[in-house]
Amino acid sequence: MSITAQINEMLQKGKAKDVKALVNQALEEGITAKEILNDGLISGMVEIGDKFKENKVYVPEVLIAARAMNQGVAILKPYLTKEGVEPVGKAVICTVKGDLHDIGKNLVKMMMEGVGIECIDLGVDADGDKIVAAVKESGAKVVCLSALLTTTMVNQGEIIEALKAAGLRDKVKVMVGGAPVTQKFADEIGADAYTSDAASAAEVALSFFKN
Amino acid sequence: MTERERFIKALRREPIEGHCPTFELVFFLTLESIGMIHPAQMAFGQWNQMSKSEQKKHFEYQAESYIRIAEKYHHSAIFVHPNPGGIDGAVRLLEAIREKSGDKYYTMMHGDPTFAMPDGDSMFDFTARMYEDEDGLKAEAQRNMEHALAFGEEMAKHKGLLDGFCLCSDYCFNVNPYFTPDMFSEYITPYLHDVIKGYHDQGFYSIKHTDGNIMPIVDQMVQCHPDALHSLDPQGGVDLAEIKRLYGDKVALCGNVNCGLLQTGTDEEVIADVRRSLRDGMNGWGYIFCTSNCAYTGMELERYELMNRIWWEEGIYK
Repeated sequence: MSITAQINEMLQKGKAKDVKALVNQALEEGITAKEILNDGLISGMVEIGDKFKENKVYVPEVLIAARAMNQGVAILKPYLTKEGVEPVGKAVICTVKGDLHDIGKNLVKMMMEGVGIECIDLGVDADGDKIVAAVKESGAKVVCLSALLTTTMVNQGEIIEALKAAGLRDKVKVMVGGAPVTQKFADEIGADAYTSDAASAAEVALSFFKN
Repeated sequence: MTERERFIKALRREPIEGHCPTFELVFFLTLESIGMIHPAQMAFGQWNQMSKSEQKKHFEYQAESYIRIAEKYHHSAIFVHPNPGGIDGAVRLLEAIREKSGDKYYTMMHGDPTFAMPDGDSMFDFTARMYEDEDGLKAEAQRNMEHALAFGEEMAKHKGLLDGFCLCSDYCFNVNPYFTPDMFSEYITPYLHDVIKGYHDQGFYSIKHTDGNIMPIVDQMVQCHPDALHSLDPQGGVDLAEIKRLYGDKVALCGNVNCGLLQTGTDEEVIADVRRSLRDGMNGWGYIFCTSNCAYTGMELERYELMNRIWWEEGIYK
């Protein structure tokens, strides 16, 4: 088994210490940071994301894998900078105005970072003005809006209107999600995508950056 | 037969006549409905500065709001949120309710010491503890349970005030529980079982609430012997008819009216969903009609009243 395949395997098991040791070993063997990132860490997160989507693993198993990934990435960071490796793209992510729930948003962020997307996390209770400012400042091409409450999901639509008013709607893809949100609702408010779980959200976001 | 007696019969899955009992875990829409502030929306910065008689008036006001909502919507049970909390707040509020309404209503309050799924800030740390601090986490679960049972012991000294606890730790997302079934059996089930047994020994009923898709863990929850399961969330794919078929002889069932539809559906969709819940839930005994969460802040009052009207007209055992 190649060392990147071992990193992939240990990451999926959430073995952070093993992942760190293997990343260091791979660097010593002269494997590029980009290769370690893509073939070891990201491929491991993609695989565990797929298992999550298929209900073969649960959230804690994804979280523990993500923790291993983060520790591996921390070792790689200076090497990635030196190699000039850029993130796949930038996304602004938040829980919408009036809503303080953050676990869904954080899971999406974790999965998106797991596939190499840089996330600008605006936290919870974010309104249109805050999101418009973040998009302008960062140049993000994707906006992810989370809502857990039936009473706050309507604010996803208001944020889309705020992006339109700021002349940014054609420059970003808007993704929505959260417990009460449905594809029908996403269509009604004019979102570009609805996903029902964090792994699918990362997959769809990735497709927006690649297309 | 009082509403309380009817509610208890439903919890015991015994036959009742007339309406299927109803209640709400929380009914936040008091200001719109009866012109009174919900007790949970009140802040008492100067509580300890107040005279006992002023404090009593506040408890009487809170009791009045609970009772008027129960009367208006024909609820059989009142879920209290003592404010201020603690033993003293709970006892004084429940005394005020009993003084005003006698034993008419079943009373319950929060009392779940089991771990809920963590929030976004603590999810990494909590999850890491499940992998790396098994003994520490179990010791914490045990302490939480003992604390809850000590509270129950105190409440049990005040005979006739409190009928039961509602255990409201949420375990599930729409797609799946947070915990794997194995983790659930390690970190939740033993403590859920023991706290419910403890409450029963103290003379209290127990209703276990959680939102989301409970199906991977529902068997474990039922084996902890709660008197009822609450919310049976259709947004989490929970099918009331199926739960009734699987567990209707072991546990009473509460809820299943789709809160998502109450917010965004048409009147026709809401009516159809209420009728479906009544049809599936009232197939046999042991069903308590309510939303799949609560009458939450922001819900259209008219929608709750539509749901309640259909129940009143059609939720009757023949």
